[in-house]
Amino acid sequence: MSLDINIALDDFSGTDPIWVIAEEVFTAMVDGEPGFLRPWEGDQAELTDPMYAWVDVHGALPGRVLLTAERETVEHLSRALLAMGEDEVLSETDMADALGEVANVVGGNVKALVPDPGALTLPQVAHERPEIDAEGLMYELPLDWRGRMVVIGLWRLL
Amino acid sequence: MRALVIDDSRTMRRIIAGTLQPLGFETLEAADGREALDILEAGTEVDLACIDWNMPVMNGLDFVTAVRENRTWRGVTLMMITTESEHSQIVRALAAGAHEYVIKPFTPDAIRDKLQLLGLVGLEESA
Repeated sequence: MSLDINIALDDFSGTDPIWVIAEEVFTAMVDGEPGFLRPWEGDQAELTDPMYAWVDVHGALPGRVLLTAERETVEHLSRALLAMGEDEVLSETDMADALGEVANVVGGNVKALVPDPGALTLPQVAHERPEIDAEGLMYELPLDWRGRMVVIGLWRLL
Repeated sequence: MRALVIDDSRTMRRIIAGTLQPLGFETLEAADGREALDILEAGTEVDLACIDWNMPVMNGLDFVTAVRENRTWRGVTLMMITTESEHSQIVRALAAGAHEYVIKPFTPDAIRDKLQLLGLVGLEESA
């Protein structure tokens, strides 16, 4: 999978920097240990009841970091982040906040790869895909978190 | 010891509070810099403030600046915990008066190590 965007890749010695960021975020924030996140293998199935979380990076290369996952995945992700048991009540607000924070941390680290970055917007979360020009997709990384798909997309804001 | 956790994400506030409490901190929470200043202005004594950068109403950098402009709060240790990882941003925060800077994502060990450097956590807590 190639990374066809204008970011500093020299320091990564061929390792996908978005994968590195995702692995760090999930290891540190979600799972507490590595090994539960891996690249998705096989075809990307259409997600059921998806949720979307994104942050925009302003600056010389304005872009959007968009996370997509099924609602059920977001529920598991939120429980892991919040260290909540299955019997504890998890609200829609908790889930939106948790997914938004993951997008925020991923997006903040992606911003550090962009030359002359500007401000990072606050995260937004929705059940509808945000309107964005389909031609702006620069890169997409489908991930397998505990058997569930999480997709990180990088979009150029046209 | 009392810590004020300032982040617009409830998730992140809970993660940070959950890291600090086993280290012996009582934690208070604020969703933005203005809300945190309200807590300080009410006379609540705080030893440590953990501050996100990007927040609505009042961002973390403005909060740090406001705290440093008021001598009443000179005893408050300020630790930025943020996704802003560019060197220039770290320099700005430290120049404004932040004592330490942690980049998200972080591990509980990273927070504990910073607090040990600041003298807010003893070595016994690392056991």
